[in-house]
Amino acid sequence: MHDKLIQKLEILSDAAKYDASCASGTAGKRKAGKTDKTGIGSLTGGTGICHSFTPDGRCVSLLKILMTNYCIYDCHYCINRVSSSVQRARFTVKETVDLTLNFYKRNYIEGLFLSSGIVGSPDITMESMVRIAKSLRIDHGFKGYIHLKTIPNASPELQAEAGLYADRLSINVEMPTQPSLNKYAPEKDLGAIHNSMNTLKDKIAEHKVDKTHSGKRPPRFAPGGQSTQMIIGADDSSDKIILGTSVKLYSQQKLRRVYYSAFSPIPDASEVLPLKPAPLIREHRLYQADWLLRFYGFNLDEILHNDMLDMDHDPKLAWALRNRHVFPIDLNKADKLLLLRIPGLGARTVQKILAIRRYTKLSWMDLTKMRLPLQKLKPFITVSDYSPAIHLLDSNNFELQFKQPKQFELFGA
Amino acid sequence: MKTITITSVPGYNEWRIAARECLAQSIPPENIIWQSSESIQNDLFGDTEEVTPAPIEQMKHSIPKSVLMLFKYALCHQDISRFALCYRVLWRVIFQNKNLIQLKTDEDIMQLMTLAKAVKRDAYKMSAFLRFREVALDEQEHFIAWYEPEHFSLEIKLDFFQTRFKNMRWSILTPYRAAHWDTEKLVLEDNPDPSVCPDDDRIEKYWLTYYTNIFNPARIKKNAMLSSMPKKYWKNMPETALIDDMIKQSDARARKMIIDGNKR
Repeated sequence: MHDKLIQKLEILSDAAKYDASCASGTAGKRKAGKTDKTGIGSLTGGTGICHSFTPDGRCVSLLKILMTNYCIYDCHYCINRVSSSVQRARFTVKETVDLTLNFYKRNYIEGLFLSSGIVGSPDITMESMVRIAKSLRIDHGFKGYIHLKTIPNASPELQAEAGLYADRLSINVEMPTQPSLNKYAPEKDLGAIHNSMNTLKDKIAEHKVDKTHSGKRPPRFAPGGQSTQMIIGADDSSDKIILGTSVKLYSQQKLRRVYYSAFSPIPDASEVLPLKPAPLIREHRLYQADWLLRFYGFNLDEILHNDMLDMDHDPKLAWALRNRHVFPIDLNKADKLLLLRIPGLGARTVQKILAIRRYTKLSWMDLTKMRLPLQKLKPFITVSDYSPAIHLLDSNNFELQFKQPKQFELFGA
Repeated sequence: MKTITITSVPGYNEWRIAARECLAQSIPPENIIWQSSESIQNDLFGDTEEVTPAPIEQMKHSIPKSVLMLFKYALCHQDISRFALCYRVLWRVIFQNKNLIQLKTDEDIMQLMTLAKAVKRDAYKMSAFLRFREVALDEQEHFIAWYEPEHFSLEIKLDFFQTRFKNMRWSILTPYRAAHWDTEKLVLEDNPDPSVCPDDDRIEKYWLTYYTNIFNPARIKKNAMLSSMPKKYWKNMPETALIDDMIKQSDARARKMIIDGNKR
């Protein structure tokens, strides 16, 4: 390794930081076998370890780099588009492999998150990325995490090969609608992206079966599934459109995760783009809504009563405020789905409540001991020795008690 | 009154043997004083005469695995009340309520959970924030790390490091104990000498480069960083030396992006 490598690393990690996903997803457990004398690494089963945190509050779990930031496409929101004057660099296969292994051995990372600009053609690019993953797995017995950002128009064969070595594959949809793509990423086609996702979805499902008819286990194929990313606030798509796209991606393409990335200004930006960053609170609310859709049994219409999410309240509280007739809910009797709808109760707390309830009745004291956010919960719940004063839910000032000071505003208007 | 002195750290095995013996003799928790050899306190009113040990039987009581897991974590805590607490819970699980552990609002269970949780977090942070540095030992690569856990977390994480870095030679040094792994055997050493840990590593500059560049100066969230990576961990993480400057320059860097954008 020599100092040219430092320069490349500067350019190619800087270019990768606009990607929102940072942690490694769950992809089961894996380790070097007893007789394996050279392999390195393990997957511990849960989500990957956060080995460090940067001052933007994000977890550093993977070596997240671009293979190259040369690109033949001209996507306006992208710092690496062909018309940008950014400095260019390209890692060789060996450099990427060595860097990953050297970082891993020092316990800096859980694995590699490799993305790339498109150089030559989609197939040429994808082929090099697959070679990197293959070399890590086959030549070095690497058992850590690998996430490949697949290239939208690469051949199905290459995508299929990528899945043999990667734990997770992703293709960014970037914009929620085709008109927005036309405007901001003229070379990208939502239909083609969905086709790629569907190909991968089928492959993943095919390899999930325990045993084939011959009794052999099929090879692993992207056990961590697929994910994607949408940029928020560069175009004028509403939250309703964005979340609607997510719901489809989760149900039709079976994605594991949709990431939302609030648009932030990039150096040498294209003129089509807004000058101001999108508010981080919007990104935050979208993640909260996404969670409610996936883990809390809410549907889209319940979360959104107009086109945009309420920025003042989290979406669950906003729903509760619109549906006061449902409350108060008895923590000792309500079923799980109802408990999950109470503002201030997370999925884990609900699990705990259900466990305790089997043996004893919950009292106000128990809630104190569990360190629950009582102030927030107060109007919404009943326990054995407490029910809310009727005015708590009816009061005209009710919403006022939940008003929060404005935050997350980075740049004054 | 019976006094039991645990002489090792974390003392898990000693506690297990002693607890089994006490159960065999049906000694209730309130009749035992647990102490650790580092902090022996005189108990003026206690009768320190040893009870003749009854023959040690196999424990006939079946203890749920989840309880034993909690004990394993809690017993790696620094708090010396851990031995008495675990025995009291053990006693209550056997003689009062086999589902005791489900009563998340019981005082003993809450205390046990608090200890176990603290150790779990401490151990997780160890697997996350420990940094190896490379040296050549007998012409082979050997990786050394110095780490200061808050509790006796090395014991919890030995499996993790042996699995993940199975084919690497490594030494992990903590203030109370070191573990040395030669790809086949694990050797423990008490009170190791921290000075054997090197001050630098040939790859570290690449890591610092990466850390600086992967960060987005347009979205500072210092508190989010601090809650996940409090300053007490910073000492042995080389990249944390860069944080102050990264924050100081972030505003200028982010503004530059916007100004550059305006120039077009």
